[in-house]
Amino acid sequence: MIPGRSRGGPWVLLGNAALLVALFTGSYLIAAAAGSSQGWPPWSGDIVLAAAGLLFLGLAFLFPLHAGLLNLGIHAQFLAGFIAGSLVARSADILPGAQGLLGLIAGAGGGLFVGVVMAWLKRKLAIHEILSGLLLAAMLVPVARAFGVEPAAAPALEIQLGTLARTLAWAPGLHLAPSFVMAWGILLLALGIGLGLLAAHLLRASVRGFELRAVGSNPLAAVAAGVDVDAMQMLTVAAGGACAGLVGALQLWTDPAVALERWPVPLGFAGITVAFLGGGYLRGALVAAIVLAVWLNTPGVAAALSSPLWGGAMALLLVLPAFWNLPRLIPDQGAPRAIWRTRHRETV
Amino acid sequence: MGDKNERLDVKGMALADGPRWLVQDLTFSVGPGSVHMLLGERDTGKTAILEALAGRRKLERGTLLAPAPAALVPQPAGSAQIRVLDRLILHRQPKRMGMFIHWKQAREEAKALAARFALDGLLDVPVETLRPLERRLLELAASLADQPALLLLDEPTSELGPHEARHFLATIRRVASEEKIPAVITSAFPRDAYPDAEAVTILWRGAEPVTVTTHECSEGTLVERWTGGLGIRRTPSGHHTPGEPLLRIEDLVLRGRGRETSLAGLEFEVKAGEVLAIVGAPADGLNLLHDVLLGSRSPEQGSMQFLGKEMILSTRRHRVESGISFVNPPHARDQAIPEFTIEENLILGQITGPPFARKGFLRHDSIRGNAVRTLRDFEIPEAEANHRFRQLKLGDRQRVIVAREVLRNPVLMVARSPAQGLSLAAQEYVRRALVLQCERGSGLLWLTEEPEEAMRVADRLAVLAAGRFVWIPVTETLTREMIIDEMSGAAA
Repeated sequence: MIPGRSRGGPWVLLGNAALLVALFTGSYLIAAAAGSSQGWPPWSGDIVLAAAGLLFLGLAFLFPLHAGLLNLGIHAQFLAGFIAGSLVARSADILPGAQGLLGLIAGAGGGLFVGVVMAWLKRKLAIHEILSGLLLAAMLVPVARAFGVEPAAAPALEIQLGTLARTLAWAPGLHLAPSFVMAWGILLLALGIGLGLLAAHLLRASVRGFELRAVGSNPLAAVAAGVDVDAMQMLTVAAGGACAGLVGALQLWTDPAVALERWPVPLGFAGITVAFLGGGYLRGALVAAIVLAVWLNTPGVAAALSSPLWGGAMALLLVLPAFWNLPRLIPDQGAPRAIWRTRHRETV
Repeated sequence: MGDKNERLDVKGMALADGPRWLVQDLTFSVGPGSVHMLLGERDTGKTAILEALAGRRKLERGTLLAPAPAALVPQPAGSAQIRVLDRLILHRQPKRMGMFIHWKQAREEAKALAARFALDGLLDVPVETLRPLERRLLELAASLADQPALLLLDEPTSELGPHEARHFLATIRRVASEEKIPAVITSAFPRDAYPDAEAVTILWRGAEPVTVTTHECSEGTLVERWTGGLGIRRTPSGHHTPGEPLLRIEDLVLRGRGRETSLAGLEFEVKAGEVLAIVGAPADGLNLLHDVLLGSRSPEQGSMQFLGKEMILSTRRHRVESGISFVNPPHARDQAIPEFTIEENLILGQITGPPFARKGFLRHDSIRGNAVRTLRDFEIPEAEANHRFRQLKLGDRQRVIVAREVLRNPVLMVARSPAQGLSLAAQEYVRRALVLQCERGSGLLWLTEEPEEAMRVADRLAVLAAGRFVWIPVTETLTREMIIDEMSGAAA
């Protein structure tokens, strides 16, 4: 959660729940109309991998939000991660066994770099993170596409979880080997859950967490209390960028076309939906990531998202939680103008 | 166009906010060309009455005969990033072909309107660069664009110094007289009724309002009647014996922004155990001086030595860690986090080490214990340590902040209008708590725009006008008028 900024009450929860019901019902009806409702209720091992990706994207938006930043550069960080991961995963000079791990690390580094650039632009040139994030995303889309939309060869490293894998019903929508999905999906999901829970604990219990909450709630008071607001904001947007970049690199082995060509619904922005559906809570984002991952793997959703009409309608539904979640999550310094404020000091 | 020359008549008015009565049995009458003042602390229903007079709030009981349309000028809000011209035509633009703004005609109309308030030379100036008095005049001018039959102003003087307030209230009186319309203002300062208001309605919480005319009731009598004598006490615990110099400011020069008055070589020092009060209007250099003391602006010239060390370029954090403590006005946004709990606000800026943190982690038992003791010792019984700060009343918020700063046992306290807008009891509490800290050996630098407040606390007193100091001896013969004269004379 964002401690100290919860004013939504049951209506926010109800709104989020109603939206999820609408999503599931709508996609079921679409699938039924197209005669492809078989396989309901959904289950696929891909859910694990999708949930891991969505959780990291949610964290990518939530970390900066705690410092009062709206990380709309999440897709730029995602693409930077994809590009950095491609450089490693498609390189013949790197051992196949190391490509997976190094690709993910490179992806996280790429996303982190974009996050730092955004924070630097805000600090030095007073360019708002919304503007810089969207511009960087627009710049990186053609660069990412230049690296190709074909999946990279699956990394050689596989964790043998054969017994567990065989016990699960398997409907591999991404056409990946169960061992790959289990290995990387469970590993990353566990990492994401651990990271989220650790961050939630540190926010409550640590001095830096206290300072971060102060920065996010009232930057003016944080400055007066001696907190280095610029450093805090850079730290969180860099951490968020690393999370988004990691997911971007992960996309290399799953379905790059989804990451690069699903415009105007860029995959990176799914993190914003996860954050809002989770009510701005780190723990809520975990639940939202799993629920959305389940929804993404229901029959007919992939086809519906590809259709301009149904895809647009679902994208609209996914944007809706912002309307009742965002107003209670933005910093308390005179909204609504605050959201456009580029500096946290009133005087220079 | 409204009907002019009509009276405003209120008989037995009662207003409620849910189950709570805001005001009951309110009766008064205002003739055309007259100014009527509603005097009361916060939360006594002043704004609700104006809303009812403007037809925006339902009466629970009573009758209201009010000329229409009414122009309601709200309390000063944040500065707008638009030009004076834009503000004047904001709600009424001459159109061309029904679609486009006729800018030539708009400028002419705005210029004519602005000229009535000597603002015609500022049409292309951004509103945020205006001085507080000019902003209030602008809002008054904008409210006249629709030619109202009733003028209502909510706490129009809350941001103004005494001489600015007097000028503004005289302007309201002139406008009411020229337009032949009644005007009603609200205020928390009895002085605002003199000499321009015909009558004053005194509002209390939980008691019947009383209306008196300014002819039958002098200002001193009005204060006594309103406060029961509470608000006219002088220094809470007498004068103090100054000790060694703590803060020395020399040759301070800083250029003002927009139409602010620049600081022109200020020099003063604050000693241990004394209260130095500096009185001035915000735009006459008081805001600039406060910014310099906070470390949020660097002067072009001058030095600031604290305990013999140069601090003019140091950050606010360094100043606080060196032993300077700041208490700002209750509505200032930089001294508390409303969404945090009270116990969290009590440790703001004090978590770098023991007792509230250890090895990078907060010590929640220590934090809770500190909050419980502080709330008990500083007599804030309605608050719980885990309550959100925003749930507190304004007075209790300021008590919490004063408690936090006093408990740091600072070497020097810098207080900027710390009791502004509070109830009388809370004002007295805040003054007493700060001055008691001064008696324990701290120095106290008190910046205010209220002469009365300065007189109540000061051992030494300086008026800041036109960016310079005029020192006034604090004696038994010192009167508020002497201070205002210095402020006004220098400003003129």
